[in-house]
Amino acid sequence: MNAQTQITEVTPSGETREMSYAEAIRDAMAIALDRDPTVVLMGEDIGTYGGAFQVTLDLIDRYGPDRVMDTPISELGGAGVAVGAALTGLKPIFEFQFSDFAALAMEQIVNQAAKLRYMLGGEAAVPVVFRMPAGSGTGAAAQHSQSFEAWFGHVPGLKVVQPSTPEDAKGLLLAALADPDPVIVFEHKLLYKMKGQVPTGYYTTPIGKAAIRRTGSDVTIVASAIMVHRALEAAAKLAEEGIEVEVIDLRSVRPIDRDTIIASVKKTGKLLCVYEGVRTLGVGAEISALIAESEAFDYLDAPIQRLGGAEAPIPYNPDLERAAVPQKADIETVARRLAKGEV
Amino acid sequence: MPTEVIMPKVDMDMATGTLAVWHVAEGEAVKKGAALFDIETDKAAMEVEAPASGILRQILAQPGQVVAVGSPVAYLYAEGEAVVALPAETPSAAPAVVAVAAPAAAPAAPAATPSQTVAQVANGAADLRATPVARRLAREAGLALSNLLGSGPRGRIQRADVETALARREAAALAASAPVFAPAVQAAPDEWTAQPGDLHVTTRKGTGTPLVLIHGFAADSTGWMALERALPRDLPLIRIDLPSHGRSPLRRLSGFADLAKTVVQVFDRVAEGPVHLLGHSLGGAVALAVSDIRPRQVKTLSLLSPAGLGPEIDGAALNGIARASTADSLAPWLKRLTARPDGISHDYAKAAMLARIDPDLRAAQQEWAQVLFPDGVQAFDLTAALERVTAPTLMIWGRDDRILPWKQALAAPGEVALHLLRGVGHVPHMEDPDTVAALLGRHMK
Repeated sequence: MNAQTQITEVTPSGETREMSYAEAIRDAMAIALDRDPTVVLMGEDIGTYGGAFQVTLDLIDRYGPDRVMDTPISELGGAGVAVGAALTGLKPIFEFQFSDFAALAMEQIVNQAAKLRYMLGGEAAVPVVFRMPAGSGTGAAAQHSQSFEAWFGHVPGLKVVQPSTPEDAKGLLLAALADPDPVIVFEHKLLYKMKGQVPTGYYTTPIGKAAIRRTGSDVTIVASAIMVHRALEAAAKLAEEGIEVEVIDLRSVRPIDRDTIIASVKKTGKLLCVYEGVRTLGVGAEISALIAESEAFDYLDAPIQRLGGAEAPIPYNPDLERAAVPQKADIETVARRLAKGEV
Repeated sequence: MPTEVIMPKVDMDMATGTLAVWHVAEGEAVKKGAALFDIETDKAAMEVEAPASGILRQILAQPGQVVAVGSPVAYLYAEGEAVVALPAETPSAAPAVVAVAAPAAAPAAPAATPSQTVAQVANGAADLRATPVARRLAREAGLALSNLLGSGPRGRIQRADVETALARREAAALAASAPVFAPAVQAAPDEWTAQPGDLHVTTRKGTGTPLVLIHGFAADSTGWMALERALPRDLPLIRIDLPSHGRSPLRRLSGFADLAKTVVQVFDRVAEGPVHLLGHSLGGAVALAVSDIRPRQVKTLSLLSPAGLGPEIDGAALNGIARASTADSLAPWLKRLTARPDGISHDYAKAAMLARIDPDLRAAQQEWAQVLFPDGVQAFDLTAALERVTAPTLMIWGRDDRILPWKQALAAPGEVALHLLRGVGHVPHMEDPDTVAALLGRHMK
């Protein structure tokens, strides 16, 4: 059973402040630590070192080692401690150095955290948050560059979110923490330095709700994380040619926002899914299928298209690494062909 | 004896028609000549008049149904006349609904009602490719997809194709209510204004070298439809509407060279790399000129009854077609186009007139006829150009061409392949599209 917790409200001020994606995450964690004494941070090198990507940075100095805990180099052990702590009343935020290393902790995430509420008849909850730096583009090669959203999205009992902006990085992390069940937050490594206006104080971004980042009438692109930005760049270029692309930021892989996607495809009749994970059996397959099964089917005016990661481990060579995942030019080409009825 | 109401042939290449709507309900009286039902063809929606006065009974074809040309769709009875049972055994009694899909699937299942067959036909052609939204829109509008040509890859019918067809149907319905078919119509005005804008070009996507199509005088790109059906489905097509024709802007013309120059400009824009080029009649002359001006951009040249190879031309027919303001005055001239006079029905003339409903377009074409064919003579000579053409060249001419005599083909040098089709007039691509397509296929290989 989870202990009752005392939550100190930090009221939203209505103001915004420019901060980076990493700063926004740190801000969310600081607010969580301030307002809820049961929140603890765990992970390898998140204390004195400040985290593999310097996201926790100085939080250990501000909140002390009882609340910002370095865990041993054992993802399975650390994740197990986090799940156990969540079961017994704490709200841990567990950071993996790279989402790739979550493969070492699958037992705790998939077989324990995701299952216990169900297997114990609703008598237990596991309000843990796993933060996972993900994605390619940093030259970190095959074992440090993967995109596992679809893996975890396949597991009932988990929620999976992918913020693409500093504002969402903070809002979705706080929403993940407020959620009574385990939530995986995929943070894209290339976005950590991205700046944006972020509301100060406490707020949450709803899990399971996509965001329309650009409206358009000719083609719908559903993208997530870094791909949202590449899609927006492609859309801006295509707008010069008179092609109006609607860009949907998926934000949440599980649960997925069917309504927003269906409404958009009914409007445009053309769908392009862009995601960094391996193309086959990926998030785009799910989106394609849900459209094919929905009332939007009768509005399709072209075959659904997917742009996903190559069917290969992410290469170390920078050119090959770029070629292995969708880039702006790829998105532009496919969206243009879709809009022109050439697909 | 009741009067049979049949599906008329309004299009030269028409084998079936889609019944769009009945204007008269079963059991209602109708006067001879009154609008009885609408049909849809590739080109237009057409009103069909009652062939006799009487009471409409035994409607055999419902809206949306595809019916073979000549098949009965209903019967007209005199007042009080006893209704005779339809001879159930004769195939003509039920409308010969064209079951395009799965011919072996249901050979004359006795219980098959027209509506069941409709479901099969509506969008079920085995090789018909259409997007879901195109299928839905066609279904909602009672439009048969089998009558449409798709602009998408491998001829896939897309939303825009259905919307164009629907817009055309609407425009035709509007035009049909205008007094165009009334006996007295205003003649085309002398004054017309040239229009700005690019020539209208449509494409069909596919794989390989595209075929560029240039239609003839007083025609437009929709005239290629029968030939397009006979050509391989994945052959990419680029159709150019000549200025003052089809959906291109109206332009004044100083002479043939002016026309050739205008088309070369469009050709440069649309032809990426060498293409196959095909022209008919005046379009043949233009294609020949394009090949002469852009020899490296033309892979093969094909000419159907091309103009420009001799002085003789049926100027009366050209002027008559350009001037005609009613279907009645257009029909006799159209009949000169084909070898068989029955190739052109009155309903076909009505459909053709609908495409020429704009008086300014007719005025512009009349002026063109004066510039290009003054006093019924071809004022331009392309025999020298034909000598110079380096691309392999194919010429097809109907032996019964009454507009341009086939003997003008003899102006061609020995390298040009010449095919003279028997029983064919001035429009081989409409009169015998299969043969023309086969010859083109071999030539373009």
